[in-house]
Parts: sequence; structure tokens; C-alpha cells
Amino acid sequence: MLGRIGSGACTQVVAVVNTQQNRNMATLKHISMRLKSVKNIQKITQSMKMVSAAKYTRAERDLKAARPYGEGAVQFYERAEVQAPENDTKQLYVAITSDRGLCGAVHTGVSKVIRFRLQEPGAENIKVICVGDKSRAILQRLYSKHIISVVNEIGRLPPTFLDASKIASGILTSGYDFGSGKIIYNKFKSVVSYAQSDLPLFSQKSVEDAPKLATYDSLDSDVIQSYMEFSLASMVFYALKESACSEQSSRMTAMDNASKNAGEMIDKLTLTFNRTRQAVITRELIEIISGAAALN
Amino acid sequence: MSAWRQAGLNYINYSNIAAKMLRRSLKPDLRTEALRRDASHVRITPWTDGKPAHSQKAAAK
Repeated sequence: MLGRIGSGACTQVVAVVNTQQNRNMATLKHISMRLKSVKNIQKITQSMKMVSAAKYTRAERDLKAARPYGEGAVQFYERAEVQAPENDTKQLYVAITSDRGLCGAVHTGVSKVIRFRLQEPGAENIKVICVGDKSRAILQRLYSKHIISVVNEIGRLPPTFLDASKIASGILTSGYDFGSGKIIYNKFKSVVSYAQSDLPLFSQKSVEDAPKLATYDSLDSDVIQSYMEFSLASMVFYALKESACSEQSSRMTAMDNASKNAGEMIDKLTLTFNRTRQAVITRELIEIISGAAALN
Repeated sequence: MSAWRQAGLNYINYSNIAAKMLRRSLKPDLRTEALRRDASHVRITPWTDGKPAHSQKAAAK
């Protein structure tokens, strides 16, 4: 094409027009491609929102049934005024999260609580059990030395009591002889809010030394040991349920926001798309008219 | 000391076995619903020195 026209100045003009035309055509195509992909993303986030809304209703119903387990266990420790031994610095933290992401800050919130605790002085004797891959991913970079076990495959299905008892058995057989500890989880408040909360863990010795243990009748160490094991399982179960419920509600909000943002993007892109299309049409018209005028 | 603890079970195992038996002995119409709760998918990996302890898992990575 360049050889055919010959004159230097002329080729330059043609080249400029050509690239501009190409660029405009390309942007129009690019915009429509982006528009399509954003529309697809919006569809995905919308359907994820629907799915988590359904899962959330079920999780909330399950949570109501699970609440007595956790509250009963905590009440025992409160009534008996069990205190963590002061000279025993061995502590265990259990982070209740899940494997799934895209749900706002539920996992980071739990991990942050543990991270702050591990940054404090005297954190050498603290061990962490990560329930869910997300807390492991956050904590393993800096604090992998503190992790004594990781539990995964959490969050795909609603947690069952058998899951909780497996985790509780894992805690008991981990070989770590802790004096006290905490289960950190997200406590579900309402559809739009949750907060990090904790459940206490104690060793059997601190329960036996509790000042008001006499409130409860006919306790020997065998009964206490059995009850401690059971209450550990039920607290883990309760924490799993709370955390599953807050996760689903948080995912619902997150996906709702994502769809809303995608909608805004689609509006903006459609506007620029239409503007560019009109600009291209106008320019083509001008070219045709001026070409016709030049022929006359 | 009770017999099940002497056999090396803790209360969690003991009560889970009891629950499993109870679920199985329910009437058929209730059993299907109850058996659905009798499932667990979690996997526990012990860690030592900041690494997963099982070698076959580390090899898989």
C-alpha cells in the first residue's frame, strides 16, 4: 500500500488515519469484550449470592439447634469459676475458619486475633490449631512454628457433630499439654454483622482446682474427664456452626456488593461503548461526505 | 474406671459409637434423616516444625 502511493507526505497522512481508525475500531471491540466479561462476572456473583442465601437459611436454622451445646458448656465453666492457671503459660488457640474464600473478612478477622496474640511477649508457648485452609494460609507464613495441626475440608458441607468430635479428638490427642486456651470463631449476630468471639478451654487440673466446683454434685475425676471431653466437642461444634453461619451471611453480603459493583461497571461501559460507537459512525460519515466533496 | 476407657476410648468416641447405634436402630422413616447427620468429611493433618508431618502429603505437593 505504501509503495503504491509513493509520495512521502501522503503516506504519512494515510498511515496516521489508518492507525487511528484501527485504534478506534479496536477500542470498540475491546469495550464490548470487557462488557461481556463483566456481565459474565455479574451473573456468577449473582448466582453465588443465591446459593449462599440458601445455605445461610439452613445454617441459621442449624445454629439455633446448636446454641444450647455451646452455651451449656460455657455456663459450667462460669458457674464453677474455673480459672486458667497463672504459672502455666502453655496455651492453645483454635482458629475456626473454613476452606472457602470470597466471603469478606471472616477469615482474616479470626486470624488477626491470633496474630495479635502471637505478637505479644510470652507467645513462645502458644500453639495454634487451624481449622480451615484459610487460617492456615494466613498464619503459616509467619507463625508456622506455632501450628500443631491443620484441619481441612471444612465449609463445603454444613458441619456435623461428627466433624466436631473428630476435631476435638485431634485436640486431645495432639500431645500438647495445654494449661488453658481459646477457641476463636466468628459469632453470628445478624445477617449483616458478626464479630470475633472466643470460647474458653481449660485443662482438667484447672477444673478440679476451681473454687466453686462444689456447686455441682458427685463429681469425681473420671466424671470430670468425661465431661471435659464432651464439652470440648460440643464447644467446637457450636463454634463451627456459628462460624459457618457468619461465613454464609458474609458471603451473601460480599456477593451482593460484587453484583452491585459489576452493575455500575456495566452501566459505565455501556455508556462509553455507545459513545465510541457514535463517534465511529460520525467519523465514517465525515469521511464519506468529505470524500464525495473532494470528487466534485 | 469404666470399661470403654480401659479399652483406650475417650468419651467422645464412646458417645459417638452410642449415637451411631441409636441412629441405626431407629425406625426406617426416621433413620434416613438421622443417617445424614452421621457423616464427617474433615481431615486432620498434624504439623511439626512448621511443616505438615505426613511425608506422603508433602510429596504430593
